[in-house]
Amino acid sequence: MDIKSDKAMQTTNSFSIHRLLLMFKQSLIINKKRFAIAISAFSGILFITLVWAQASVNFSNWGEHAYVSTFVSVFLSLGISYAAFSFPAFRSKEKSMTYLTLPASTSEKFVFELLSRIVAFIILMPILFWVIANLEGVLVHYYYPELINYQFSYGKSLTSFTKDVDVKQVIFLIIQMVLFGFIAPFTGGSHFSKSPLFKTLLTFSIIVVSYFLFSLFLVKAFDLLQGLSAGNKGMHFRGNREIAIIMFKIGFTLTNLSLLAIAWFSLKEKEA
Amino acid sequence: MIQIKDLHFAYPRQQALFNSLTADLRAGSITGLLGKNGAGKTSLLKLLTGLLHPVSGELSVMNHAPRKREVSFLNDVFMVPEEFYFPAISILDYLKAYTPFYPRFDLELLDRILVEFELGKERNLQRLSHGQKKKFLIAFALATRCRLLVLDEPTNGLDIPSKALFRKIIAGYLEEDQLVIISTHQVKDVENLIDKIIILDNGEIIFQHTIEEISQKVCFVSETSNDMKGVIYSEAIPGGFRLMMPNGHAETEVDIELLFNAITHGHKIG
Repeated sequence: MDIKSDKAMQTTNSFSIHRLLLMFKQSLIINKKRFAIAISAFSGILFITLVWAQASVNFSNWGEHAYVSTFVSVFLSLGISYAAFSFPAFRSKEKSMTYLTLPASTSEKFVFELLSRIVAFIILMPILFWVIANLEGVLVHYYYPELINYQFSYGKSLTSFTKDVDVKQVIFLIIQMVLFGFIAPFTGGSHFSKSPLFKTLLTFSIIVVSYFLFSLFLVKAFDLLQGLSAGNKGMHFRGNREIAIIMFKIGFTLTNLSLLAIAWFSLKEKEA
Repeated sequence: MIQIKDLHFAYPRQQALFNSLTADLRAGSITGLLGKNGAGKTSLLKLLTGLLHPVSGELSVMNHAPRKREVSFLNDVFMVPEEFYFPAISILDYLKAYTPFYPRFDLELLDRILVEFELGKERNLQRLSHGQKKKFLIAFALATRCRLLVLDEPTNGLDIPSKALFRKIIAGYLEEDQLVIISTHQVKDVENLIDKIIILDNGEIIFQHTIEEISQKVCFVSETSNDMKGVIYSEAIPGGFRLMMPNGHAETEVDIELLFNAITHGHKIG
């Protein structure tokens, strides 16, 4: 075992790649069994879900749209749940004490958590889905030849799914929205010790409902829809589509950056 | 090594635990931190290790502000809390996972202590008893060679032979530049080990002396009567009384329990 100290590790209090790698090594040593069990369980459940979904449409009606719908559902539900349990040490006082006194900087702990909870998931989960989906497709096709569209490819699926949409316009927005779906629970995990997913959802629900009610109050109080025809008095954006997309892109980007800043400060100021 | 000046601390929505706490601790000693339940011993240890943040005042540990939790501070401080968590891995894996973070970690020292505590490295940490886990954590803490070691109730859960071994190991493997702070209710467990006593009461340090200073000022004797001139404090024991008196003659061993009771009852040692 290498117990010699790294010079950089001793001198820098801000960020050291060496210490970040040590954190990954530590996590692998401690969680290797848990990771293996989680990946096996996920693969098994996904395999069964796909077989069940294909059987429910008699195999013959299965296609790219169905693959994409399944992928999006699994990707978002699993990703949000996984991100919500970020900073797992904060679930108990004893673990918090060990974690907070571990000689690594706040930045290293934050980046490690961000990489392992969001970035690693975004990279690895689609790969795992692709492997399982294709394996399952080939096996099911062997027993049920009526399953014709059994080869899953992201390129083909995305083309099929977005053929009616101007991808260039919305791709960045979709990425930011998906990131928001992961970053919001990630921030909740850094802040809430108990039931982080539930408390995060509750907090965001309160914020969204309050915002909606406040907007409604402003519209009613100042009669902001005055002069619009009856058909236009819905929640339509008053401008062209490009501006709307740009506004949403900026909104989601700023929200995501703000949430990451909140998570960083939660970690920095955490007490045990 | 540790300078505390006018430290103020309060838990959220609670009244202040520490008001104007002041202390100065130097390296090369084993300090016993004593106090009644709720006096703030664990909170003070957490403040020293950066796990809690002071509201105001100065707190400097090895020229660091603990609340910043800088790496150069964290790899020189180790806390053995009263309650702790270990992952379900072997001691060997634990060492692979944690030792690289401590630049001065001494594996040979750890091996020696583990042998004395009769702990094999291949054993799974989750399958150890509470006392064995505590012994491993104490061994790990000493082997980090951190300059500040903070032990919160270290003898809780240890059997009688292990308590004696604990004293021997702490006294035997410390270096001159290290400071050990032991917070405990079990004062008998740390007798003959600590060389400085700090007593916390009502959020204040009401007593702060070395064992040498105490021995020079007072003596502890057992007598059949407490009706003697100069008795500072006495407690009934089977067959007589235990007395704390001004030291006019030879030095006696410090009876920490009697001293603690005397001080918390408002007596002074002069």
